Amino acid sequence: MTLTITSLYGLLGAALVGLGLYGLLVQPHPLRKILAFNVMGGGLFLVFDVVARRGAAAWFPADPVPQAFVITAIMMALAGTALAVAIMLRLFAETGRVTLRPEPPASSDGQGGDS
Amino acid sequence: MKGPLLIATWAVPLAMLAACLSPRVRTRMLALLGLAPLPGLAAALLAHDAAPLVLDDSRLNLTFSLDPVAAVLLGAASLLWMIAGIYARSYMSRDPNAGRFAQWWLLTLGGSLGVFVAGDLLTFYIAFALVSLAAWGLVAHDDTRAARRAGVLYIGLAVFGEVCLLLAFALLAAYAPGYSIAIQDVVAALPENPARHYIVALLITGFGLKAGLLPLHVWLPIAHPAAPMPASAVLSGAIIKAGVIGLILFLPLDPGLSGWGTALTVIGLLTAFYAVLVGITQQNPKTVLAYSSVSQMGGVAAVLGMGLATGNATAAMAAAFLAAHHVLVKGALFLAIGVAAHSGGRRTWTLMLPAGLLALALGGLPLTGGALAKLAAKTPLGDGLVVILVTVAAAGSTLLMLHFLFRLADTRAESPTARAKAGLLVPWLLMAFLAVALPWALATTLVGVTVAQSLTLKALWVAAWPVMLGIILVLALRRFGGVLPRVPEGDIVVLGSGTARAGRVTVNLIERVERRLCDWPTAGVSLLVLTILIGAALFAGPTLFRGV
Amino acid sequence: MSPVMAAPEGLLLVLAIFGPVLGIPLLLVLGGRQAERIGLVLLALGLGVAIAIATTVIRRGDALEYVLGGWAPPLGVLLRADGLSIVMLATTAVVIGAAGLYARSDFGVPRGMPETRAPLVFWTLLLTVWAGLNAVFLASDLFTLFVALELLTLGAVPLVSLSGRAEALTAALRYLLFSLLGSALFLLGVALLYGSYGTLDIALLAERVRVEPATQLAAALMTVGLLTKTALFPLHIWLPAAHAGAPAAASALISGLVVKGSFVLIIRVWVDALPGVATPMAAQLLAALGAAAILVGSALALRQARLKMLIAYSTVAQVGYLFLAFPLASATQLGTAAWTGGILQAVSHALAKASMCLAAGLITKAIGHDRILDMGSIGRVMPTTVFAFGLAGFTLMGLPPSGGFVAKWLLLRAAIEGAQWWWVLVIVSGGLLTGGYLFRVLSRALAQSDEPPGLRSPLDRRGERLVLGLALLSIGVGLVPLASLSIVHIGRGL
Repeated sequence: MTLTITSLYGLLGAALVGLGLYGLLVQPHPLRKILAFNVMGGGLFLVFDVVARRGAAAWFPADPVPQAFVITAIMMALAGTALAVAIMLRLFAETGRVTLRPEPPASSDGQGGDS
Repeated sequence: MKGPLLIATWAVPLAMLAACLSPRVRTRMLALLGLAPLPGLAAALLAHDAAPLVLDDSRLNLTFSLDPVAAVLLGAASLLWMIAGIYARSYMSRDPNAGRFAQWWLLTLGGSLGVFVAGDLLTFYIAFALVSLAAWGLVAHDDTRAARRAGVLYIGLAVFGEVCLLLAFALLAAYAPGYSIAIQDVVAALPENPARHYIVALLITGFGLKAGLLPLHVWLPIAHPAAPMPASAVLSGAIIKAGVIGLILFLPLDPGLSGWGTALTVIGLLTAFYAVLVGITQQNPKTVLAYSSVSQMGGVAAVLGMGLATGNATAAMAAAFLAAHHVLVKGALFLAIGVAAHSGGRRTWTLMLPAGLLALALGGLPLTGGALAKLAAKTPLGDGLVVILVTVAAAGSTLLMLHFLFRLADTRAESPTARAKAGLLVPWLLMAFLAVALPWALATTLVGVTVAQSLTLKALWVAAWPVMLGIILVLALRRFGGVLPRVPEGDIVVLGSGTARAGRVTVNLIERVERRLCDWPTAGVSLLVLTILIGAALFAGPTLFRGV
Repeated sequence: MSPVMAAPEGLLLVLAIFGPVLGIPLLLVLGGRQAERIGLVLLALGLGVAIAIATTVIRRGDALEYVLGGWAPPLGVLLRADGLSIVMLATTAVVIGAAGLYARSDFGVPRGMPETRAPLVFWTLLLTVWAGLNAVFLASDLFTLFVALELLTLGAVPLVSLSGRAEALTAALRYLLFSLLGSALFLLGVALLYGSYGTLDIALLAERVRVEPATQLAAALMTVGLLTKTALFPLHIWLPAAHAGAPAAASALISGLVVKGSFVLIIRVWVDALPGVATPMAAQLLAALGAAAILVGSALALRQARLKMLIAYSTVAQVGYLFLAFPLASATQLGTAAWTGGILQAVSHALAKASMCLAAGLITKAIGHDRILDMGSIGRVMPTTVFAFGLAGFTLMGLPPSGGFVAKWLLLRAAIEGAQWWWVLVIVSGGLLTGGYLFRVLSRALAQSDEPPGLRSPLDRRGERLVLGLALLSIGVGLVPLASLSIVHIGRGL
């Protein structure tokens, strides 16, 4: 089995998704998380484009539908990124720093036991 | 005419509750509490042979029915609710939260009478949940530390009981033939039900908890002293009978289940003896009465258990008669404590004489309703060991009730000149009169015990020797009572604190896990692990949802 | 594929999605002062549309379909309303309507005051969430569903951060990032499916789908992606924090509706799009997560010091019940009963939880905080609110007669008939724990000894009525005769 250009794109896309996922989970800073999400998105779109070739093989030289999907998905990713950056900037303006470390949500205040 | 009475039994109290939405009505509702059980009483008198009433049978399919056995308990409970309601008007008149008390009262009342007229699983469950949960408002009304503790314990156990019943009902409905959820139909199918052992165990747990059977009786001795007096009266008299009617309606007395019948008898007898033993160590008269209720319900359970063991359906009426007698007597005695607590100086004959008579009636004194009830129970009990044990338990009851009379005599108002108001005195005397007279009036019609039967020498002797034994025992108690250990109210409830501690430790652990889960890397790992797990699960095994 | 249908009622489906969408530019043009008026008109119209769709579908006894622009699938977009859709559409219209009416006092612009940005933003986001939800319930191809899901997220996240406080912003950012991660996984699954079958239309996929590794991998990815958005344990971690800082109306939307959107999608993927791909073990796994959610969520709710957090963890627990339907629906003859139970749980929880969130909002507004310990005697000053909270609690506990009772009863019956005893234990112990945490709140609220807390602002009577109405509806769902509940199966081949 030779490495076709399609498989290469597919593998590349998978690698990008993995890389992005790793960054999204491990990088503590929100900005890096957002960037990692975009890396992951890039990989995803690449996978989708590869799919366009494979799925369409029976009918067309290239299937236009996934391309439309990818463009829409890119718009959604853009919107998500914009929103995340906007919230992050607002958070910076409010507190002077940006972190995702939450206050412990299950705060018991040591008085949960009245029942 | 009969059908609407069944509806009005629970709908009138709830309608009165709805009227409390108006603040003007709410402040006056306390005075009207005595009217709310009237439809229930009318239903017990007029509609005890009514055909089941099915509401909207094409869709909702709610059934209401009343058979003679339930009618006996409904009548007794309605009377007690009525007189205790009149008593509450005077007893609670100074309470700033009387309006709220009246609302909880009506809600509980609706459920308490509702269980007697329920004809299918759903209506029964709704009514039972109503009486169980709403009684919390009566228990915790005073909002003292003790009342709050009692409230927590009460609601915890009540919800546990609800859960047992829900499971039992689900099992009953799941295996019943067809789609009927009428109590008659599902109980008729119970002996063939493959899950019958689970069902009966759950039913006995759920109803036994409400009726105060060992070891889930712990809420009674804690809840009764905490509640206001009229509430204690209905709690001990009427509310715990929801458990009794449950046992009567849901256990298949005819054909019977012998193993479970024996088990229920043993539980009942253990309860009857244990409650006497703990009860005589108590000082608060309300607590003593609470233990006496536990003991009496043990006796009722023993009768039902024997009926279940031998497949004797007459046990239902005998148990109902015994329980109805207890409704009237125990309700009256609680009202007596309230009268005593409001009068100072010397004990008057209007208090001690009726109270003494009623107290001994619970032990089965000859010529009282108690003796009639014991006679009625003779058929289902048979003549074996059980009947001897029940008779000895009657001696224990006498002992406990005499102990109560001494505690009652010591209860008095601080001011020596205080006199109980007519609003307390009259309901008490009325209740006492009914408790003495009604069993005589109804014994022949209901359980076929004639006056002549109870006057034979043998019957008199059988009824009298336990009472005499009880008197000897109480003299011994007065003499040597000091050596008895002090048992806390609710005896074995202290064992529960270990469970509570274990629960707290578990929740602490869960909290710590939760905090870890919220870290991003942990969240990421759980996401990946989940994907792998679901993926692996999808690779394994046959597939679902095909061709749906 | 079915021929392109031109049923005039089909236009209602378009209206359900595009009504709110068209409202947004109208808001932006006419400005914040008109926002509330436009919003309320749209809410009324939307409720009407939802009812019209529901009656049409019930009358026809079959799903209602509309092909956008006359392009048939796989190229065009098909909107399809089946029984599941109409139930969720109607619930959404009611809860959104209540949230909108409630928000009049929070985000209204009083006469004579300078206009602020908050009302405009709030109403825009509300309409976005609404359009997203309706699209999730009506779309019938996986890509449109993905877009609808994103729309939902992009509307819900800013709602959380509306107060602009630091903790709300942090929570919103966590929510957004986690949710985007879920979307990415979902999209990856969609790509794999397209690669295998060349279509994303649910009906076409159902015909073509084969059990093979690529499909199974896609199903796993999509499921996990959707679980992050449904906040199923252990992926619930964004939800409590998001509630803590969100305005009451936003909490009501997120707890009540947003998490249900992705739940409906999981049903669509497992049952409608990929029949035969799910396995008993996967169904058991989902339900096991649900069981863990019920137990852990309820236990944590017992410990919360703040009412809003208690409600949030209660949502975590109640979401768990939804997933018990999966193994029960597959294992029994009465599989439909389990689905009915699961969907009824979604509906009654949406109504009850919205009522609770708004009640918590009213209490916070009235006394300035939501610490449970300092709420003693609040029942005396806000009896209607506390009563409504208690009624909604009835539904959550599953006490009769309430929607929650019927839902849990159906699940219980299915578990017994399918001989899956372990879920029986979970359902009942969940009920016990729910009773425990609700009792903590109600016993404080009904205490009599304390001085009632002073009121910071006059009582919002309209808000109180709204909360009571929602709670009564959640009870009323339980009074709907069981036979009529089968409408959720219309057009679903069950």
